[in-house]
Amino acid sequence: MNEGVSGIALGVVIVGLALSTFVTRTSFLLAGARFRLGSRVEVALRYAPVCTLAAIIVPDILLHPPAATIDLSVLNPRLIGALAAGLWLCWSRNLIGCLGSGMAAYTLARLCL
Amino acid sequence: MTATDAARKETFRQGQRAILPSLPGAFAWGMISGVAMVKGGLTVPWAIMMSLMVYAGSAQLAALPLIVAGAPLWVIVTTGLITNLRFVIYSAALRPYFADEPWRKRAALGFFMTDFTFTRFMRSAQDGSLPERNRDAWFAGVCANNWVTWQLSAMTGIIGASYVPTDWGLEFTGTLALVALVGPSLNARPAVVGAIVAAVVALLAFPLPFKLGLFCGALAGIAAATLADYWQQREPPRTPEGA
Repeated sequence: MNEGVSGIALGVVIVGLALSTFVTRTSFLLAGARFRLGSRVEVALRYAPVCTLAAIIVPDILLHPPAATIDLSVLNPRLIGALAAGLWLCWSRNLIGCLGSGMAAYTLARLCL
Repeated sequence: MTATDAARKETFRQGQRAILPSLPGAFAWGMISGVAMVKGGLTVPWAIMMSLMVYAGSAQLAALPLIVAGAPLWVIVTTGLITNLRFVIYSAALRPYFADEPWRKRAALGFFMTDFTFTRFMRSAQDGSLPERNRDAWFAGVCANNWVTWQLSAMTGIIGASYVPTDWGLEFTGTLALVALVGPSLNARPAVVGAIVAAVVALLAFPLPFKLGLFCGALAGIAAATLADYWQQREPPRTPEGA
């Protein structure tokens, strides 16, 4: 904490990371009208958000701490928290309630189980 | 101000309102990224610089341990690139909607596109609630609110990091915010099939370096969802299902 990472090298790393974001985000947007995507590809891209988010979320819930083995146990606090948040979502679309119930269930499970 | 300007401004505001429901999630996610950067060992000015320039929470979090460990530049940037590969898919999905815009505008909209703003845009594109005209202004409104919220929350996290105990498990709010983001999209069978396949492949491929498992999972899920969509189209319409 007291001795943080800094310096020119870090500046270069930050520029490199910024480029990695910019290049990926603008890739097809800038490639522009040079080629057309088929209708099949457009159907595929419609499912991009849901699939990518599932690939981020599920390992985060079941493989905690990172790189550990898959924890499918019903006592996994993250699984309990995510289920609580999911149930809340089915009942109401309120995001604050979803975060609140998920965190409450997660914290309770972590402290009590 | 001409009538067109006024119309564009109104559409921009509509976009700003459209993203409101997911701003608490963006705030939580930004704050967690901010806290993590300082807890991970970056000094406050560098953490602020990183948040402003990179503006990609997942890539920042993935790169952080490598930065702290003094990994070579190319390893860090490769990790960032691979974590960000999903944006290539997003970029391709957005392209048809902005193909007629000048390249400067496409570059700007691309820079401000995130998981949250992209998902919001695609939801409106699919349910038909996207405005007919000035889509760029609408998406700019979505992105503006998301950017301001994320940066403010990242600053809050960076400056307040020393007051936040690590053992609160606050980083889990970020995961929950993504759950809330994906939930409403799980309303059709192909989407559910895709999500399940993506999750299973991402779990199995998790040991791959550079977070490649995430990309493999996303690709497999998209392929499965597309196949499911295709079969669904070919199936004759059935009687309405229960529930």
